[in-house]
Amino acid sequence: MAESTRHILTDFDSALESLRTSVLMMASLTTRNLDNARRGLFERDEDWCNTAIADDEEIDALEIQVDRDGIEIMLRFHPYASDLRSVIAAMKMSVNLERVADQAVGIARRARKLNGRDPLPEVAGLEPLFKHASAMFQDAIRAYAENDPELARTLKPRDRELDEMNRDYANRITELMPKNPDLIHGYLELIFIARFLERIGDQSTNIAEDTVFAVIAEDIRHASPLSR
Amino acid sequence: MNPPMKIAHTPYGSSAAAPPDARQDLLSVRNFQFFYGKKQALYDISMDIPEKRVTAFIGPSGCGKSTLLRNFNRMNELIDGVRTEGDILLQGHSIFSAEVEVIALRRAIGMVFQKSNPFPKSIYENVVYGLRISGRSSRAELDETVERSLRGAALWEEVKDRLHESALGLSGGQMQRLCIARAIANRPKVLLMDEPCSALDPIATAKVEELIHDLKNEFTIVIVTHNMQQATRCSDRTAFFYLGRLIEYDDTARIFSNPSQKQTEDYITGRFG
Repeated sequence: MAESTRHILTDFDSALESLRTSVLMMASLTTRNLDNARRGLFERDEDWCNTAIADDEEIDALEIQVDRDGIEIMLRFHPYASDLRSVIAAMKMSVNLERVADQAVGIARRARKLNGRDPLPEVAGLEPLFKHASAMFQDAIRAYAENDPELARTLKPRDRELDEMNRDYANRITELMPKNPDLIHGYLELIFIARFLERIGDQSTNIAEDTVFAVIAEDIRHASPLSR
Repeated sequence: MNPPMKIAHTPYGSSAAAPPDARQDLLSVRNFQFFYGKKQALYDISMDIPEKRVTAFIGPSGCGKSTLLRNFNRMNELIDGVRTEGDILLQGHSIFSAEVEVIALRRAIGMVFQKSNPFPKSIYENVVYGLRISGRSSRAELDETVERSLRGAALWEEVKDRLHESALGLSGGQMQRLCIARAIANRPKVLLMDEPCSALDPIATAKVEELIHDLKNEFTIVIVTHNMQQATRCSDRTAFFYLGRLIEYDDTARIFSNPSQKQTEDYITGRFG
């Protein structure tokens, strides 16, 4: 990939920079929403849940902005090589960021329902999943921001761990259902939240794969773990 | 010393050709260097150009791409004081061998220039010019050549009713396709194109590009272009030249998505200062 040499066309540099800034802005808003959903869930605070749900609109607007800017760059500047890859990666990344933000909204909605009932001690069991998913998301964003394909490559094995954590948690909760039939609605919310977190792991992995493609033009999607 | 080069012309459309998947290198450049007087214009170029493929030469002005192209049919010999080292082989035979007749070489390796250059004669006479100067005048052969070549250049339908009118009455795009018809009338093995669309509007350019796509079924094409999109649309292989050196030569898709050399990347992404 080219170093940070400037383009002859300064407008091209500005347009690429602006696209990247929009993606990073989306990432930071998504981080904030995810954190708000986390507080809404674990602090049983409806305001944080409502904030996470309402703020999603900003992220949707940025997704549209990234698409528009990406198309304009393709039309005006006909990017090639690393420039082409970075535009494609930014556009794909914005889709995944928007999906992560949607998971945050999903968590906030389920948390709001849980908060309307008596506290369930099993909520605490979601904390390790939340921590793992959030860390994956943060590292995916950092790998993009710092053009770090090696950090990006760590995401896939960590996603498998998250899948395992989700499976274990769902099994534990399912086993509780026949014992406490009155709590089934609450248990279902917990299983949904674990599932949203598991999806955040998938989407963070997608973001990491797009980063590897943008930086070193390698497509690591669907690659066998034994092939590396 | 190599045996005399055989300019055996396989009529295109003939089934004698190798199957399409068995492509071989038709032109081979071996440690080629080129000098205008004391000034060296090409440095140690080695590359193989596959048959029935389109190979694009790209690079900034003065990088040597047109100079190399003009060496393929020894057109640079028309300039005083030039000198070459290394070799260029057509099907394994040196094009610089003493036995090679330059006229025969130029029939085997045709050239289409940036600016269309039809002769101030009829469309018909433009196409058969090469045959006439080689002494062939059978009416049937000339007629057959005119139709075959104009069809090959996707021009027949547009001009079949005015073959004996002046070629200078054609549009720019038609004139360029007429020059392509004139080049393929000689049934060359290789067609060299030096920025063939740079003076054409987008529609005429699209027609020539479509024609290039069709012509590669029969001919090996080498095209010099400053238009990066044209290189990506038309070519299978791309060579990037800079300051007289071949920097990178690879499949076109790879050159434009993930070149291995920083100089290539800087050029195609517009970072060259």
